[in-house]
Amino acid sequence: MVDITLTVNGVTRTGSVEARKTLADFLRDDLDLTGTHVGCEHGVCGACTVIVDDREVRSCLMLAVQAAGSQVTTIEGLAHDGGLGPLQQAMWDSHSFQCGFCTPGFVMQATAFLAAHPEADEQQIREALSGNICRCTGYQSIIDGVLLAAQRTRQG
Amino acid sequence: MPEIVAERYTGASIKRSEDPRILTGTGRYVDDIKLPGMLHAAFVRSPLAHARVLSVDVSAARALPGVVAAYTGADLEAMTVPGPDVLMALMGAPGPSPEFTLLATDKVRFVGDPVAMVVAADRYFAEDGCDLVEVEYDDLPPVANAAFALDPSSPPLFANLGDNIARPHSRSEFGDVPATFAQADRVMEFHIDVHRHQNVPMEGRGCVASYDSDLGVMTVYAATQSVHVSKIAVAMRLGMEHDQVRVLAGDIGGSFGLKIGASREELAAAAASRALGRPVKWVEDRGENLTASGQAREESFDVRAAVSNDGDLLGLDVKVVIDTGAYPGMGTMVPGIMQEMLPGPYKLAALGFESTAAITNKASYVAYRGPWASETFVRERVIDLMAKDLGIDPVELRLRNAAERTDPPASMITGRPLVGVTTRESLERVAQLVDIPAFRRRQAEGREQGRYLGIGVATFIEAAPGPRSPEGPSGPMGTESMRLRLEEDGMVVLFTGQMPHGQSHQTTLAQIAADEFGVPFEQVRVVVGDTAVVPFGLTGGSRSATMTGGVALHGARQLKVKVLDFASQLMEASAMDLQITDGNVWVRGDPASAIPVSEIAQQAASGQFGADVDANLEVQASFDGGEGGWSGGTHCAIVDVDIETGLVKVERYVAVEDCGALINPAVVEGQIRGGVAQGIGAVLLERSAYDQDGNYQSATFMDYLLPTASDIPRIEVDHLQTVPLDADVNFRGVGEGGMIVAPPTLVNAIEDALAPFGVRIREQHLPPARILELIDAANAT
Repeated sequence: MVDITLTVNGVTRTGSVEARKTLADFLRDDLDLTGTHVGCEHGVCGACTVIVDDREVRSCLMLAVQAAGSQVTTIEGLAHDGGLGPLQQAMWDSHSFQCGFCTPGFVMQATAFLAAHPEADEQQIREALSGNICRCTGYQSIIDGVLLAAQRTRQG
Repeated sequence: MPEIVAERYTGASIKRSEDPRILTGTGRYVDDIKLPGMLHAAFVRSPLAHARVLSVDVSAARALPGVVAAYTGADLEAMTVPGPDVLMALMGAPGPSPEFTLLATDKVRFVGDPVAMVVAADRYFAEDGCDLVEVEYDDLPPVANAAFALDPSSPPLFANLGDNIARPHSRSEFGDVPATFAQADRVMEFHIDVHRHQNVPMEGRGCVASYDSDLGVMTVYAATQSVHVSKIAVAMRLGMEHDQVRVLAGDIGGSFGLKIGASREELAAAAASRALGRPVKWVEDRGENLTASGQAREESFDVRAAVSNDGDLLGLDVKVVIDTGAYPGMGTMVPGIMQEMLPGPYKLAALGFESTAAITNKASYVAYRGPWASETFVRERVIDLMAKDLGIDPVELRLRNAAERTDPPASMITGRPLVGVTTRESLERVAQLVDIPAFRRRQAEGREQGRYLGIGVATFIEAAPGPRSPEGPSGPMGTESMRLRLEEDGMVVLFTGQMPHGQSHQTTLAQIAADEFGVPFEQVRVVVGDTAVVPFGLTGGSRSATMTGGVALHGARQLKVKVLDFASQLMEASAMDLQITDGNVWVRGDPASAIPVSEIAQQAASGQFGADVDANLEVQASFDGGEGGWSGGTHCAIVDVDIETGLVKVERYVAVEDCGALINPAVVEGQIRGGVAQGIGAVLLERSAYDQDGNYQSATFMDYLLPTASDIPRIEVDHLQTVPLDADVNFRGVGEGGMIVAPPTLVNAIEDALAPFGVRIREQHLPPARILELIDAANAT
């Protein structure tokens, strides 16, 4: 077992994990942060996406020990005072999701992308989210949610 | 809270009440459940398609630290009751029913068949244990396709059947088939294949089973389309009384037909929990989901079409063989629906229909969004092939053959009246929205520059719920029940057997009940997912809009009558003079008399009324679908096919739909777009591939390709004005239509794009390599 310390959603967390344990399983099982979902365990679907040190990461492909010392943000870390952040609000307004299983991954991926590319257009957003799989929506409502969030941010 | 944007909630795109939890990661999916003392199960699965199991040795697994138990097939057989597929047993499916155990005992029947189960402190240890299980196999010849399965020399998968036929060959005729074909100007013949593909919800199957040995009660937290069907399955296979089993479900990460009832693995987890007296969780990983959860379609059709030179489709004679995979279930039930639906909205004078279902060494055939959809694929493909041979425009040909809306209505040759069907309007509307002559000009210009554009249309109808049959004793989908009560806090609570897994019932049912009862949307709560409190029900078959929407409407109306009757005694006014708006009961014309419904409910609960007053503000409602009606529509795709690479780009996609009165347009459009995306995936990307020895080739997302945001275009949705049939309930199902009609729409467009090469397409899966083969083959002839 390896002792690790990391910052998750602004709070210092410690754990004692097997070296083989994924970051996704550590967040879900050890820290009870079950908002991060595991959809494929081989890095394709993107449901488990979290932000590690300002970059989007597939938490099923990263080991918990690799995240030691890092700043990790999960879906639970976006909500302010139990409410919704601007992207989440725009996605609610746009009827972005249906079953909700892919949602945390899309929200985290789009959060990281919009932070780096606030001026992105639809094509760029589609490309940025093309590594995340949603089986319910046909994507249009998700893209519309991200576009709306970007537009609102630009308008201040 | 949702903004109020309309006088009535019904018909408005009210924001979903599911979303705040989903968007913040606070939903509760089955894998999020943790119970004290919970163990984790993993399965050893067969690497072979067909083999005798000579021995299973779990001793090394049992000895591994962290492992609590390991079970062989024989162990599980002793702990459970053998039987057929539970859904098949419930629905009385035709054909022989092979009995099978939860884990393989004598033999394995597909790659991924579970052979042993290891239960451990966590999933990592359970999988370590699986690695230590030794299984000795003796290979048997794989039955890798339906053609071999139907050959009497193929080795039977089930000893008690003696052959590999799950549904014996049968033939039905409607109208005068021989005369229709004899009188036809021409008879066209085709072989059309639909490939194997699968549901792939983003959340796989899973459960947490928790047996309380003191009470003798099994509680299962499930991911299921019906908690009650799951409960029946658990009770049957564990040999328990129904009242000893409780099934609960929370948020569910999609299903599309996969999660009906309890799977063999879930039942095994429940059996282990009973044996160990501790909760056991099993959640499949993606490899298990793709390999073993189930697959759909893979049907082959021999089609004869009787056609007039003027373009009348006079009759069809269709033979289908279905590959049901290893453990027959849904695949044996689909031919009956295909037969009934094959005429579609067209004026066929005759239909011959033959079917056989074969058992093969593949994962089992399961329901997938519009399970019978291949009949639409075949019919809409035939119409386009006819159009090409006759030189008639495909939209014109459809208009020529679609039944007129008459009074009394025309009927399908297989029986159902085509009442209220708007096929013709949908075809005309598509032609309006897509300027086809302008497209043809652009297409011709493109071809001169080596660019191959194509346009395709396809039309469908769906019995969602279907019309009321004149002679039928009940409605088209049986009945739907709902319990409704007014709580002391003023909440109107709906208890429904629907088990939403993305369909937004928590929102849509609340919209209807709020309008009908007279409370704000936020004052309605929809309770799902607990066999202890909800009535029997199933989310599937595009059922809920009419059936559950209808029972919500009538139930809220009944509850309102009851509340007003009670209030009339409190308010010393006739119930006739009372009304409920915005959560208050008041005497008509006297706003000052308003009393919140919460106060009425508190009075009712006070116990101060005698037996002559009905103070139980609760009703049991049921609804039989009313007059029912058809959903349907026409879709149109414009594609750009790169003949160098075989890549197909969907440039434009238009869906014209009639799903009755809309409850929540944004929810409806989400259902349509999601179904279309799955249909586009099925044609361009997805295939559950086996090699000739029955080895599965598509066990990862690098092999089973799903469409992404780069593959799916904006999908334009246009809603037709519906023809109301019922006085109150004209909501119709919309869950399956996109997936039913998108594949023929897209294939028709691709064939149109490749028309200069003379390509004719008689299959559904068209990845780039296949497009190039089709062009090469056409060039060679």
